[in-house]
Amino acid sequence: MNRTLIVARLQFVAWCSVVGWPWGILMLSFLINVALFSTIGDSEDFEPRTGGLVSIYIVMFIASINAITQDFPFALGLGVSRRSFYLGNVLNYAGQAISYAAVLYLLAVIEEATDGWGVNLLFFGLPFLVVDNPVLRFLSFALPFLLLGFVGIAIALVFKRWGVNGMLTLSTTALAGLGGLVVLANWRGWWSVIGGWLADQPGWALLVGWPALLTLPLAGISYLIIRRATP
Amino acid sequence: MSAVIAVTDLTKRYRGVTALDGISFSLAENRIHGLLGRNGAGKTTLMQILTGQHFATSGQVSVFGQHPYENEQVLARMSFIKESQTYPTNLRVTHVLRAARLVYPSWNEEFAQRLVEVFQLPRGRNVRKLSRGMLSALGIVVGLASRAPLTFFDEPYLGLDAVARQHFYDHLLADYTEHPRTIVLSTHLIDEVSDLIEHVLLLDRGRLLLDVEAEALRGQVVTVSGPVAAVQEFARTGTELHRASLGGTTRLTVRGDFGPAAQDRARALGLVLEASSLQDIVVRLSTATDSSTPTPAGVTSEETIR
Amino acid sequence: MEDSRPIFLQIAELLENSILDGTLAEEGQVPSTNELAAFHRINPATAAKGVNKLVDDGTLYKKRGIGMFVSSGARAKLRGRRRDEFARQYVQPLLTEARKLGIEPAELKNMIDAKGESR
Repeated sequence: MNRTLIVARLQFVAWCSVVGWPWGILMLSFLINVALFSTIGDSEDFEPRTGGLVSIYIVMFIASINAITQDFPFALGLGVSRRSFYLGNVLNYAGQAISYAAVLYLLAVIEEATDGWGVNLLFFGLPFLVVDNPVLRFLSFALPFLLLGFVGIAIALVFKRWGVNGMLTLSTTALAGLGGLVVLANWRGWWSVIGGWLADQPGWALLVGWPALLTLPLAGISYLIIRRATP
Repeated sequence: MSAVIAVTDLTKRYRGVTALDGISFSLAENRIHGLLGRNGAGKTTLMQILTGQHFATSGQVSVFGQHPYENEQVLARMSFIKESQTYPTNLRVTHVLRAARLVYPSWNEEFAQRLVEVFQLPRGRNVRKLSRGMLSALGIVVGLASRAPLTFFDEPYLGLDAVARQHFYDHLLADYTEHPRTIVLSTHLIDEVSDLIEHVLLLDRGRLLLDVEAEALRGQVVTVSGPVAAVQEFARTGTELHRASLGGTTRLTVRGDFGPAAQDRARALGLVLEASSLQDIVVRLSTATDSSTPTPAGVTSEETIR
Repeated sequence: MEDSRPIFLQIAELLENSILDGTLAEEGQVPSTNELAAFHRINPATAAKGVNKLVDDGTLYKKRGIGMFVSSGARAKLRGRRRDEFARQYVQPLLTEARKLGIEPAELKNMIDAKGESR
């Protein structure tokens, strides 16, 4: 069997915990919200919004870091090549991202159909962005998973390959870069322009387009880093 | 016999430390090789380079005739069990075995399950909660059941008691006999493995001190004691490794070609002759430049030649 | 294996001992090298080397596909060889030690006779 597929399956040997953590935490957050808002009055104009959906994205972000810090040394110890590990890891992660996005989409549809689970709750739907096209709507669930995953992979690989010094250099550079931009924007009075630009962006661009544009170079850079990383 | 591993002038340096200093050797197929040396001698570094996990600074490495780095064909035929192996923290013992089963083409599940019984591994326990000895046993199970054509064991028995270690040696030997393969056993418990290994590589501070057949080494180093003149006479043909003197009596460790007749010669000269075990030989050779051995007053002790 | 002579020599000697004391009968089958390796916890290649040494000097012979057997007349031959070695291995050091202690050959003989009777 292809070694890439083997790695993807290898990371799924303890599938209970792989699937259990993100969904367990999301469900917990959901149930607490349902319980909470069903006790609070049900006036028509009160439409509670929560950030609970973010929890599953955070868990997946952490999982993508663990894949490098824990699965990578294990897989290499078993005689897997870095290339196979990388591709298998991406395959496994993307597979999860796509299926989780599909389930989230489904839950959002149910949420709409049941008037917010009977308590007017907006948990799975995205309150601030309206995306009507079903494909774009599905992708707006999936792409943030992928972006976070590759950010996690890239950060963990910098740590794996260059250690604490690498992390310090990376974070210093990032802070200096962002800080410089903020100073520049203040100085030139660009904030209104930036605000306007952001407001003009359609929802799908912020959730699908830009994440996709960022994910691709991260994927490439990560591959280059892992080829010279040691377990 | 064809060589599974060929290493030429291999050097590994990191941050000013020379872990391997231009070593060259080759390992023949389907034998048990002992990779011996003190901690920090470079054994683990060598195996990490041979398995493509680390990068050499210079020199050539060939495994199954190819370079191991990112070489799927070579990597799939190797199993490397190291003392420092870590496992993802969400895995249980059964998960680790299932992962190994997925990865190793020659994995034998029945053998793995038998070994799990032998080492009394708790199948359902999380790897984080395994004792040091159990972790070692898990590595041993994976290494043996993988039946990889080239298997490295790097100090695989940390935390294992003498009984468990004997189980390891017995199963290694029995399975190797039925399924011949190339095994590299890195250890400092030399006495325990001296009867198992056919070929010895001795590393010391990144250099290769010995690359010999284990049998050829037996009887090569002897310790002879008695009157100075007689000892001198006996040891004429050998290379002096260690000398201790007290009054007119000298104890001398020499390396040389001492056949069965040496015993008679020693007796004729009125000397006591002790042949050194593999362990003694390794200790003598790797400490031959170390003159820090403490000796009580009145006894002179010196290490002469390495 | 305990002493420091090459293990294959020790294996050969152990087999010789078994032939001498009759544990291994002439024309009887010898344990396989794998059995020897497992029993003595040694490398099978080393065990094979020990067995081959005895094949080379005619003590054992190989039946194709079946295994190793003790040759006829092996026991007598071994006994003859061991007798020669006995003088060198035991009698010579005995005499050397006796001389060191000032024991005359006649006295030594008496000691041996006395020991022999008391058994």
